[in-house]
Amino acid sequence: MSDPVLSVNELTVSFGTRRGRAKVVNNFSYDVGEAETLAIVGESGSGKSVSSLALLQLLPTPPARVEGRALFRGADLISMTKSEIRGVRGNRVAMIFQDPMTSLNPVRTIGFQLMEPLKIHMGMSDTAARARAIELLDTVGIPSPGGRVDDYPHQFSGGMRQRVMIAMGISCSPDLLIADEATTALDVTTQAQILDEIRRLQEEMGLAVIWITHDLGVVAGIADRVVVLYGGSMMEESVIDQIFDERRHPYTRALLESVPVSGGDRPHRLKAIQGLPPDPTRLPPGCPFAPRCRHAVERCSNDAPRLRAPAEGHRVACHLDPADFHD
Amino acid sequence: MTATSSRDDHYAGEPIAEHRSRLRATVDTILLNRLAVTGLIILLLLVIAAAIGPLVAPYGINEISIPDRLQGPSASHWFGTDDLGRDLFSRVIIGSRVSLMVGFIAVGIALLIGVPIGLASGFYGGAVDSWLMRLMDILFALPAILLAIAVLAVLGPGIGNAMIAIGIVYTPIFARITRGSVLTIKESVFVSAARSLGATDIRILRTHILPNVVAPITVQTSLSLAFAILAEAALSFLGLGVQPPDPAWGRMLAEGRGFFEQAPWMAIFPGLAIVITVMAFNFVGDGLRDALDPQQRSVIESRGQG
Repeated sequence: MSDPVLSVNELTVSFGTRRGRAKVVNNFSYDVGEAETLAIVGESGSGKSVSSLALLQLLPTPPARVEGRALFRGADLISMTKSEIRGVRGNRVAMIFQDPMTSLNPVRTIGFQLMEPLKIHMGMSDTAARARAIELLDTVGIPSPGGRVDDYPHQFSGGMRQRVMIAMGISCSPDLLIADEATTALDVTTQAQILDEIRRLQEEMGLAVIWITHDLGVVAGIADRVVVLYGGSMMEESVIDQIFDERRHPYTRALLESVPVSGGDRPHRLKAIQGLPPDPTRLPPGCPFAPRCRHAVERCSNDAPRLRAPAEGHRVACHLDPADFHD
Repeated sequence: MTATSSRDDHYAGEPIAEHRSRLRATVDTILLNRLAVTGLIILLLLVIAAAIGPLVAPYGINEISIPDRLQGPSASHWFGTDDLGRDLFSRVIIGSRVSLMVGFIAVGIALLIGVPIGLASGFYGGAVDSWLMRLMDILFALPAILLAIAVLAVLGPGIGNAMIAIGIVYTPIFARITRGSVLTIKESVFVSAARSLGATDIRILRTHILPNVVAPITVQTSLSLAFAILAEAALSFLGLGVQPPDPAWGRMLAEGRGFFEQAPWMAIFPGLAIVITVMAFNFVGDGLRDALDPQQRSVIESRGQG
């Protein structure tokens, strides 16, 4: 891979709580290359959203404490000053949030909100920004954009609002787009359209994308590589084809088994993962997944496994080998 | 409003639903509320009276005519005359100027100080919030009239100082209401989204938060106008507001007190003026509150249509 657009190194995020420090992200490291899509997968509370909010310094500090480095085109996002990071937000790195129903200000027009980043970062005049806003609406597939630009968000459907959010995200031609559960609140048809849209923009603009989701179906549709996060720690990283075939980490396997498969011969019981994700204020000393792991051995609960690379494009944090799994 | 759009309001479940159609819906809802319409008409008449008062008033406000003193209401003196033979109708009409001016300016002062304090407090939280809100709590803890009297004791009596005093007294109400609304709005995704697009705090406050907290502030403004007019009347009654010989309802009430057995109209008419004005502002305030609350709105609409 050529020089990565973003290189995250040992990112650790913790929050001060009444019951002590909650470690929500632990030593998280990954790279995203040009025009590449990295999916970050994990269940609720695995730290996937927090890790991406930390990149743009969008977490309130305190209570949050962010350590580690995130080199974006060679500059560390984590140690940037307030005004430096503001110059990056929405300009070089853009973010799309989960709920398109609430991501837009209900009392401002779509056009007004689309023009904001253009005026902030590109210093555009109102007329230029407006023309560009209409262009952007067209780019993300809003029909008759010239007539819709003065509409208010409530006049748009959920899918259209998410398109508007994407338009806002790409308005300043960023290098990196972070989509935090961007299609989770949408129905599957709209979801597919949004995914197509992102893929198309990615090809046109060479955009790097971090796609945060808990939906493995979406991952299969969009990602080049997948990172699996559990209890704030990376369990496994793999190129997309291997995560479904040669999966090695017991958590990844458990995740895949808990997804319903359509078109099978007969319905089989879905395997839920027993237990609950770990309490971030009291993480187990060993592997965070050990208490729920079917294959855990004594070593797992005392000794945290390090990431190892059993094959090209594959990193896994597990003491065991898939050969040892009998099920 | 059609059934579809009211269903959309519920479906969206947002803090604030819309803008253009919302304004229309708000106006529609207020017009369905008979009390609010009554209040609006009274206020309109008052404003007109205050504006063109000298043209309507049959006599000069300080036209003394001792032979006509303490006359009851009649065709030539609708509200009677006072102990110096001045026409009470003229004085009540001109007195509306003081009441309205003091009300609007005092509430304006409270808005201008209170809203920014509430915005800063709610948005930044932490130490800023604690200090500003404790300061507001101190102001709030003192009884309103006592606090106003204390301010006037320092500044000296007079109409300008009365406005400042009343403004200070009502500042904490606006600060609190604004802060409370900001606390909810600032957690909205669109605020995070604006921040993730590189907007500065000032920009976020101005373009995203302020327009979303206008509704509760509007309601509070109309209710505060009523209280401010009452406070002005009370201060003038105590001789701390408008100074003689200018007419003000509170002063006239105080002057009428000494003649209550011989000439009750001297107190009754300015008193009625105060009551009616305060009630009108309250009706409008209640109407606005109902109209700006989407849940209340649908109840009122169904009532209006049924």
